[in-house]
Amino acid sequence: MKVTYNWLKEFVDFDLTPQELADLLTMLGLEVEGVTSLGSGMDEVVVARVVEKNQHPNADKLSLCKVDSGNGILSVVCGAQNFKQGDTVALAQVGAVLPGEFKIKRSKIRGEESCGMLCSEKELGLAEESAGIMVLADDLPLGKPFFEAIGLKDTVFEIGLTPNRADCLSVIGIAREIAAKLGKKVRYQSVVVPEYGEPVDSKIAVAIQDPTGCPRYAARFISGCSIAPSPPWLVKRLNAVGVRSISNVVDVTNLVMIELGHPLHAFDYTQVAGGQIIVRKAVEGELFRTLDSQERVLTAADLMICDKERPVALAGIMGGENSEITDRTTDILLESAFFDPPTIRRTSKRLGLHTESSHRFERGADLEMVTKAIDRAASLIAQLSGGNVAKGIVDNFPAPRPAVSVTFRPERANAILGLSLSPDRMADLFRNLEFQVQPVSNNSFQVTIPSYRIDIEREIDLIEEICRLNGFDQVPATLPVARVISDRPSLHQRLQRLVRNHCVEEGMHEIVTFSFIGPDAADKLLLADDDPRRNAIRLCNPLATEQSVMRTTLLPGLLETASRNMSFRRLDLRLFEMRRVYHADSGRELPNEPMYCAGIISGLRDKEGWCQDKVEVDFFDAKGIVENLFDQLQIGSVTWVSDQPEPYYHPGKSCRILAGKTLIGTVGELHPHVQAAYEVERPVYYFELNFEELVRLTGKGVAIEPPSRFPESVRDVALLAPFDLPAASLIDCVHGSKVKELEAVAIFDLYQGDRLPAGSKSIALRLRYRAADRTLTDEEVQQLHQKVVVNLKEKLGVTTR
Amino acid sequence: MQDTFFVDNQLLLRTHTSPVQIRTMLQQRPPVRIIAPGTVYRCDSDATHSPMFHQVEGLMVDTRVSFADLKGILTTFTNQLFGQKTGVRLRPSFFPFTEPSAEVDIACVICGGTGCRVCKQTGWLEILGAGMVDPEVFRHVGYDPEEISGFAFGMGIERIAMLKYGISDMRLLFENDVRFLRQF
Repeated sequence: MKVTYNWLKEFVDFDLTPQELADLLTMLGLEVEGVTSLGSGMDEVVVARVVEKNQHPNADKLSLCKVDSGNGILSVVCGAQNFKQGDTVALAQVGAVLPGEFKIKRSKIRGEESCGMLCSEKELGLAEESAGIMVLADDLPLGKPFFEAIGLKDTVFEIGLTPNRADCLSVIGIAREIAAKLGKKVRYQSVVVPEYGEPVDSKIAVAIQDPTGCPRYAARFISGCSIAPSPPWLVKRLNAVGVRSISNVVDVTNLVMIELGHPLHAFDYTQVAGGQIIVRKAVEGELFRTLDSQERVLTAADLMICDKERPVALAGIMGGENSEITDRTTDILLESAFFDPPTIRRTSKRLGLHTESSHRFERGADLEMVTKAIDRAASLIAQLSGGNVAKGIVDNFPAPRPAVSVTFRPERANAILGLSLSPDRMADLFRNLEFQVQPVSNNSFQVTIPSYRIDIEREIDLIEEICRLNGFDQVPATLPVARVISDRPSLHQRLQRLVRNHCVEEGMHEIVTFSFIGPDAADKLLLADDDPRRNAIRLCNPLATEQSVMRTTLLPGLLETASRNMSFRRLDLRLFEMRRVYHADSGRELPNEPMYCAGIISGLRDKEGWCQDKVEVDFFDAKGIVENLFDQLQIGSVTWVSDQPEPYYHPGKSCRILAGKTLIGTVGELHPHVQAAYEVERPVYYFELNFEELVRLTGKGVAIEPPSRFPESVRDVALLAPFDLPAASLIDCVHGSKVKELEAVAIFDLYQGDRLPAGSKSIALRLRYRAADRTLTDEEVQQLHQKVVVNLKEKLGVTTR
Repeated sequence: MQDTFFVDNQLLLRTHTSPVQIRTMLQQRPPVRIIAPGTVYRCDSDATHSPMFHQVEGLMVDTRVSFADLKGILTTFTNQLFGQKTGVRLRPSFFPFTEPSAEVDIACVICGGTGCRVCKQTGWLEILGAGMVDPEVFRHVGYDPEEISGFAFGMGIERIAMLKYGISDMRLLFENDVRFLRQF
């Protein structure tokens, strides 16, 4: 919504600069989004008088003038012919900058000096076209800046209105707000319509067939109009608020709409068959040509203005081409009605036809403004077009609505707002808003709401008005008095934090990637045709193909991130993401959204430097991150099963992580084809953990055992094992021997070489034995150790060396 | 809403975290005090809009919660985040589920309030929306608005991060360039 400073001043007195006014409106909830000064920077264009006009000696079409600028006589060459000696004109002096960055310089034209330019309306940005220069009234003071002198200096405010404030879609609405805030009275127009001749009833009849869609319809008849361009003041006023001038009659309807907020429509009376207006719903499939020359297909939900024979306007949205005002129009049927907001909203939305008129009716016009607006428009049309307004007004208003009245408790307002205003102060604030206040009891009063404030229906709405008008800046900042709530983050939340912190401590960056990925990710990850992760949730309206399906795994986001970083030669990467994935579940309405934690590492293990080895990370770094995490989560009994758990892993360099029979995650080197698909040229190690399973498995606490006070006994054993036997299975087997005196086991040597039989390796274990209650004898240790070794031989088929 | 991502006729990606308020109030009796961060999605992508971003929702309901308390909490919050000297103001606005409703502005972190391109010459930057929970919302969750009152607020985390760290392009937050990530 655009309004100007001077226009507002016609309705309310205020003594504020444009900036102060903008701040006042913003703090009332009418956010000023832009302030533009008209005629600013144009002070070098001044009122001047032509004291001498002579033929240019070297050019037939130019004149050479002496011009009094109020500050001296200047010589100016001019090409226009429409002025004479003694005329008052607009002179752009040297240094002036006209619209279009047109700078006025001292120049020589055909050998004669010219110290400025006499301006046309077009050159000053006041009109689209102009013939010749502007000739001004003789009484303007010479030397005065032109825009100031003719009262065109103004400021335009662009106001971003919230959808509840339909009443402020007008100059008068905003003026009311200013008046309320400043405690002033709005200067309402007193309109007298000059009526002549026959009564309107003999010309116009209105029938409302749909009183829900159209609760009120008023019309006037104006004859003998001459359609012509609007006078400059009207054109300028409309241009200032962004409305194009069309003709005097149409411009008046637009002016009144902006001034009073009520949309009007003018029909060519001769095109309204029988002078009859019928307001009805359209027939399904009915065609109608709106005045933008578009053919519209209507539905039975659309409200139409029709004459005896056919539709003539799409109610509240746009008139019809068949009845619009043309140059030949002389008699006018002027409409001012109230249309049901949802009806207008639905039709406007369905047709994609949003107009200044529909904008206002959708949000809710003022039922009581119907006749005021038509009277204001009729009197202006009569004045500007020379038409005669017929006697009387047709006002079809089947069911007038009583004014809304709301009970208000000042105490309640203070409690909600944290203020301590007196009831009198609150009553004053309401009166400033032109609400009527009736005391009911000591604790409450009855507030009657004007018809234009359709946003106010309840006590809380009035409480908001008190807060708004008294000023949000007057509300103190206090801290709440509240009951203590005994609570802490859920286990899920606490473990999220733990896992994140762990990953960060492992030197990883947390990343956040979009939840939607490209549909080709499943192929790039080599997923099998029947892999459930191919069944991703698709968006109906994605912004791009690569953001069109909800991810079923975190891997694509991590790989794309790795790839992007590697393209910038960031090769040493440690990244993790901990977020949800989306698994469609055909049995349920909503998908499963488990949280996963996944990470990738690649490149050097340590930062490059003088004292570090340039060693690249490997599988065991990735596994170590996961093992350390399990330690922190007190997840003890997991098994690492070495196989290719997922198609995107390198065969033989990956494993599954099981808790009992439940898969809780995987870790391994990524498949070279997967790396290639993401243009990752270096080996990448990846882990992914189902966080929901980790929450389920996390230890409830630690059982502490007092350390033994007795000495340990150490025994080593070297075992010849098949080459592909994982070392972890040896360790598991040792623990499986159930020797409670065994305190620790570790692998301390690995040998593979030609001194061993083909396909075998030698692994040396160091076992530590200790009892809690005594010193073990040599024989006891030997027995225990023997039990472990025999178990290894029997279970795993290894031999001692 | 035209900026919603749809999955089908029944399902969509949520465009804001406000439903968390309702779900919480349906599950428990007052007093309620929650902070609810969440991922949200809108069909919009440029330097200041991301199709996926995050909001934080706050809700407090108790017997004596006032608009002044909301102002106190939000002033404390902005002071902690942007420093004691950063000016803050509440100005009237409109949300369907709060009344009174407010937009919260901080003094422009770029120009300090004198007016620049970032704050569109106003000297202020909008950082969050807030208000007193509408009594009708309480009625819908079975709370008695005569007995209790409450406030709610919501903000976009990325926007606040951009203001705090002087990041001009929101996309940087989702590109995960380690040269960017390393700076936090």
